[in-house]
Formats: sequence, C-alpha cells, structure tokens
Amino acid sequence: MNHEPVQTPTELIQASIHLIQKLRTGVGQVFKDLSDGISEHADENSSKEETDSTAASSSTKDAAKDKNSTISSQNQKEGSGTEKSEDQQEKHRAILRTLKRSLETISHDFSDLEKTGGHLGPVHMLSNIDYLSLDPVDKNTVMHPQLLQAYKWTNKMHELANQAFTVLSQNSLKRTQSPFFTSAKKQKGSLPVACLVPPVAVDTFVHNLDQSNVDMSISISRPLGSCGVMQIDLKRTLRAVVVLRGLMIEWVKVKGFDETFKTEDGQIDIWSSSRYQVFQKITDHAEAASLHYYAPAKPEIAIKSFVLWLEGFSTLFSAPCHKCGKHLQNNMPPTWRDFRSREPFHDVCRM
Amino acid sequence: MGVSCVYDYPVPDGRSGAQVVDVLQKQVETMGAYKTGNFHIDCETYQSVMLNSPKTLHILHNSEHPASCFAILDSGNTLVADTLFNGLMSNLKNYYQARKGAKIESKGQRYQLADFVLKIGSVSLAGSFKGILVEVEYSPSLVAMECWNLMKELLQSIVGNIAETPPQTLKPRMDETFTPTMAMLQYLEHFNNFRNKAAMSQPAR
Ligand SMILES: [Zn+2]
Repeated sequence: MNHEPVQTPTELIQASIHLIQKLRTGVGQVFKDLSDGISEHADENSSKEETDSTAASSSTKDAAKDKNSTISSQNQKEGSGTEKSEDQQEKHRAILRTLKRSLETISHDFSDLEKTGGHLGPVHMLSNIDYLSLDPVDKNTVMHPQLLQAYKWTNKMHELANQAFTVLSQNSLKRTQSPFFTSAKKQKGSLPVACLVPPVAVDTFVHNLDQSNVDMSISISRPLGSCGVMQIDLKRTLRAVVVLRGLMIEWVKVKGFDETFKTEDGQIDIWSSSRYQVFQKITDHAEAASLHYYAPAKPEIAIKSFVLWLEGFSTLFSAPCHKCGKHLQNNMPPTWRDFRSREPFHDVCRM
Repeated sequence: MGVSCVYDYPVPDGRSGAQVVDVLQKQVETMGAYKTGNFHIDCETYQSVMLNSPKTLHILHNSEHPASCFAILDSGNTLVADTLFNGLMSNLKNYYQARKGAKIESKGQRYQLADFVLKIGSVSLAGSFKGILVEVEYSPSLVAMECWNLMKELLQSIVGNIAETPPQTLKPRMDETFTPTMAMLQYLEHFNNFRNKAAMSQPAR
C-alpha cells in the first residue's frame, strides 16, 4: 500500500501477490453480496406468492428462476401492502449499499495493484537452473536442490583453494616449476640442475643403479616422451614405477609382485593403484619419501637414497615392527621404513 | 593369489559342526572381517582299471579359480587344465572310473580382512558332515617363507595352536613361489585324511 520508492523486485512481487490476494477476497465479497441479495429477493417473492395467491397472476410460478418476470411482478405487488414494501425497500437499499462498498474496495485494491505492477520490470532469468526450478515436472525430482548444493560446494571449494594458495605461497620449498606457482627468478635457478639432465646420462645412471643393487632389478623406458619411467622389481615382494623428469622423481606407484604395470595393449600404466591395501599404503609412504629425499642440487644422491629406502621393503612380510615387536597391527604388516635407519614400523607405531 | 594355509579345525565332542562353524564365523566377524560370498572346493577320485599297478587320480575344483580344473596324481604330479578336462574324463571311463561315494567337498562363507582372505568350510563326504577346514590366504605375498610368521599371528587368533607350524604339505615348498596348486594339494591331503578316517570307522560298526 504505502510503497517506498526503492523496493527490491522480490519485495515488489511479494507486495503484488498480497494485493492480488486482497483483490480476490474483494471480488469474492462482491459475489457473496450479490447472491445474498438475490436469495433475499427470492424469499420475498415466494412468501408473497403464498400470501397473495389469489391476486397473483399465474406468470409468477417460475419467479425465482426468471429475474425479469419477478421484478415486474414485484412492481405489481408493491402497491398491495405499503408498510411491507417500505420495509423491503429499506432492505434492498442496505444490500445495494453493501454491494457498492465492496465494489469500491475492489476498484481501490485494483488501482493499488496497478500502481505496484507498474514498478515491476520483467524478471531476468540468470541461467537454465532458474528455468529448471520453474519446471513443474521437476518438482518431484531432486535435481534442482542437488544443483544448488553442488553450486554451494563449488563456491566453498573455491574459497578454500584461495586460502590454501595464500598459505602455500608463503612456503619457499617448491618442486613445481610452473610460472603460476614460482617466480621466474627461482625457475631459472633450479631447473637446469635436476630437470635438464640429458636422457643418455639418466639411462647410464639408472643402469649403474641396477648393477649396484643385488636385490633389485631396475630398468628404464621412455613411453611418455622425454620423461623416463623407472621400473623396479624388488625380490619377489613388490614392483614399483618411478617417473623421472631429468633426475627428479615426479611420480611413484607400488604394487604387488603378482600385479602388473602394463595395460592390456602393452603400454605402461603408471596410474592404477594396487588391489592390495598394503601396497596402497606403501605407495603413500613412497610418495612421502620422494619428497623427503628431494635434493635439487644433488639429484643423483636423492634417487640413490630413495632406492635404498625402497629396498628396505624386501623384508616387508618377514620383519616384525621395531616398536611393538609384532607382525600385524590392524591386520597389516609394518608398512613404514624409517628414513635414516630403514627400520620397519607399523603406520601407528611411528613416533 | 597369495600364500594359503589350510587347517583341519577339530569339532569337540558333543558339539555339532554347524555350531562350531557359527562360533568361528562370529569370531572372524568380530575381528573385522566382512563377507564376500561363498566358496566351494570339491574333489572326485578316479581309479585306473586296466593298469597292472593301480593308479589314483584326483580331480579338484576351486570356486576361487572357476575356469580351472586340477588333476592330481597320488605321486603329487599335477595338471592344471581348463574345465573342458571334465569332459575328457568321461571319455576316459574305460581307463579311469570314479570311485563310488568318494566325492568330497568343502564349502562355506568367504571373508575378507584387510589383505587376508578367510574361508571357513564344512567338509562333507558323500553328503554327510565330516569336519571343518579353515583356510587363511595372505594375498599380497607369494613366498610362504617370508610371510609365515605374519600369517601365524592371524592364524593363531582364529584356529589357535593348531597353526603352530606350517601345513605339512607346504613345509618342503616354503621358499617356492606360491601357486594355486599348492593350496589344492593341502585340501587334497585333508580330504584324504577325512576319507581314511571314514573308512577306518566303517568296519568297526
Ligand atoms: Zn608396531
């Protein structure tokens, strides 16, 4: 009613809906008044029919149904009882007054609605999601709430990623040379040492590594372009793939000895995980180890230390935990090897 | 397929096989094992008819290797073939005949516990209950020598002191790379024991 000039579209729509409801009540009232008037009139008619049965003409029989005829018959009858008719006229006037009032309320409400409606602009749909929310067929499905949920989730993730970026950018230890994460200055400093080792030198290094380890067979291939993929078999215990960029460890996966790193068409599969929990755990630990031994200035020592650490798993199934002395903890053998002493520990028995 | 150990779990007097199986199942479930379906191992034994020195041939099937058929001679020589071998045996019936009432099987619930597979089987010979076989497999390892102590820890918490030493059949092959046949040989050993016990008790009746 009292519209402030500045109202959001939602408030406007709400106000309009409210006014429409009011208008509907008003119209309902008008119809009610009208029907009251008619029934009143019909009652009068029928009672008159009974009293003035002799005087009444035969045409009044269907009076209640035929409005015109009733009115004319009424006019004829009014003369017969003046007192009665005056009383009736008063009644009629009252009815008419009520009707008029209702009609006035309607026209008032309607002009209000017109005013409010004038402020309403066309509703701008933002995306297909909004159409989806309007689709009555979709009322029964959960798609719309799910989409909203996903949207909220994405927003939250974005926010967290930003926070993580702020925290991580304060950390100076970086392995990735992407210009998004490191300054150009640093990139120039660290790149040549570990990453830009010629493939021939890497091959020779890996060959020597293979020769010096009795328990391990190590081979290198380059199925992914310039990156070397080192495949390590440790006794009859485990197999590992180590993806190298130059002499930098980029990726490690560990699997059981009866599993394979080959896809059905003979390609090397560096992605799939072991089906055994114990080797999934060791993969996690090996990733941690590749970071621990990371030394961009002395990449050869880094790889040698990593391989030596991995060799510690030759006793994976036979060595008990150094701390608790047992083989099994949570039905798993000691999957951790200390970085310095290579002593076996259960995941939960590490300090 | 990792290292498997099969043990004969004794049924104490006055208790039914079903009761003991139930207790064992409850026990492994308490340890955190979850059901991964049923398993089934059967053995049919054939006798040579024409040869001067009679020979015995055992045909075993294992639901863990549904496409395979294990043919084992008494000498321990083993042939692993696909299931078409069953048809071949019926063609050889003039030379090898199935011993009547000798079909023996172990079946029951299969469980997974971390990387362990546990099988609690009721053994029945020609339809009547004979005993319980418990199999524990440690899937990631292929050498019994390496993982025996580790398996012993788990085995002893299920079957107790019966698992003090590795199974007899496995002992001479502890350092070999484990194969499915080595599990079948253990089952055959137990099946033969059950049959002998049944044969011994029969004349006494
Ligand atoms: Zn421990």
